[in-house]
Amino acid sequence: MGRPLTEAELVERAKRGDQDAYGELVHAYQGIAFRTAYVLTGSAAEAEDAAQDAFVKAFYALGRFRPGAELRPWLLRIVANEARNRRRSAGRRTNLALRAAADPLSGGAAPSPEANLLAGEQQARLLAAVDGLPDEQRDVVACRYFLELTEEETAAALGLRKGTVKSRLSRGLERLRRELEADGA
Amino acid sequence: MPELENALRAVGANLDYPAAPDLSGTVRRRLAEGERPREPFLRRRTLVVALAVLAVAVGAVLAVPQARSTIRDWLGIGNVTIRYVEELPPVDKATSDLGLGERVSLKEAEDRAGFDVQVPRVDDLDDPPKVYFREEDRQVGFLYGSEDDPKLLITQAGVGGAVEKLANIDATNTEFVVVEPGYRGVWLSGEKHGLFYPGAGREEPFRLVGNALVYENPSGVTVRIEAEISRDEALRIARSMH
Repeated sequence: MGRPLTEAELVERAKRGDQDAYGELVHAYQGIAFRTAYVLTGSAAEAEDAAQDAFVKAFYALGRFRPGAELRPWLLRIVANEARNRRRSAGRRTNLALRAAADPLSGGAAPSPEANLLAGEQQARLLAAVDGLPDEQRDVVACRYFLELTEEETAAALGLRKGTVKSRLSRGLERLRRELEADGA
Repeated sequence: MPELENALRAVGANLDYPAAPDLSGTVRRRLAEGERPREPFLRRRTLVVALAVLAVAVGAVLAVPQARSTIRDWLGIGNVTIRYVEELPPVDKATSDLGLGERVSLKEAEDRAGFDVQVPRVDDLDDPPKVYFREEDRQVGFLYGSEDDPKLLITQAGVGGAVEKLANIDATNTEFVVVEPGYRGVWLSGEKHGLFYPGAGREEPFRLVGNALVYENPSGVTVRIEAEISRDEALRIARSMH
């Protein structure tokens, strides 16, 4: 049995039309792709369609993928484009929701320290405030903190310069802080 | 704001994500069935600006040379004023100069423009555009293709400066379109219309423009998208701009 193929090798094979190799890449990134589309659209159905279409488009665009570049941000950019275009076509975004309070995190695992920081009601208020941000700020905040993308990945996914990510993030956080203060949170 | 950032991470950790579907099987099936994404429109169509072609396109309108026309109606969208006239100025006054100003980097354009420059995120546009900045009205221009053979031109300008368009009232079609919920733009098609740069008098050379989408975004930036594409394709580009 040979060693598993590296990502670079899978990409090279996929570029030559190997759909099995591409299927492995889809499998590796489908989770983050779906979550990214879901955070941007707020709809499971739209997110699934967006991620699926994005992977089909990405297969045919592999010829433009630079050898040696990182695949994940490149894929996320295509996914984010699809998701935001669908959101615009729909003319609305469905607000995100939190897990029910009694629902344990990830199959009964202990909540992360961050998840324990805020009571459920405060989390719901903060999430509503994020959903109320202008899309350009909300998307950056959601990518950075909900999806835990790095600034570089956020910039790549949203097709922005890193400086623009920083400035939108700064404006978004400032606006959230003001709103939460006004709300007495 | 580390406290707020930590709180946001906590919210992210507690989001109620639906179970991720298995996409690899569906994607492989679609690829096996030979499904392909839509052909990039820029490979199907080109924006033709050669004056000879323009002369044919507007020949009927300009059969009788006339430097000035009676304004029958007008319409304002952001910093663009569209004046509807019975006849356009003579075609020999037209220029192919796109009037985009100087070539700059995107960062320089953003710094000098003073507004949040938005970039189209359409997969079809596979090359980064050439970026221009025009000082007179602080206009940022994105050019796909070349100045001699433009495929797609997108301009963005904040308040100040004024672009004037002269359109033939009988031959240029004007259609109101909803670019985003809550704000509108216009789609100009049919006979080509004349575009005058800021500060240029009516006797100055103008540029003939074909299909164009003009709208003002919520930040007060006026966006013009010019290409020989359909209204829906122009809207798709407009809606992809972030």
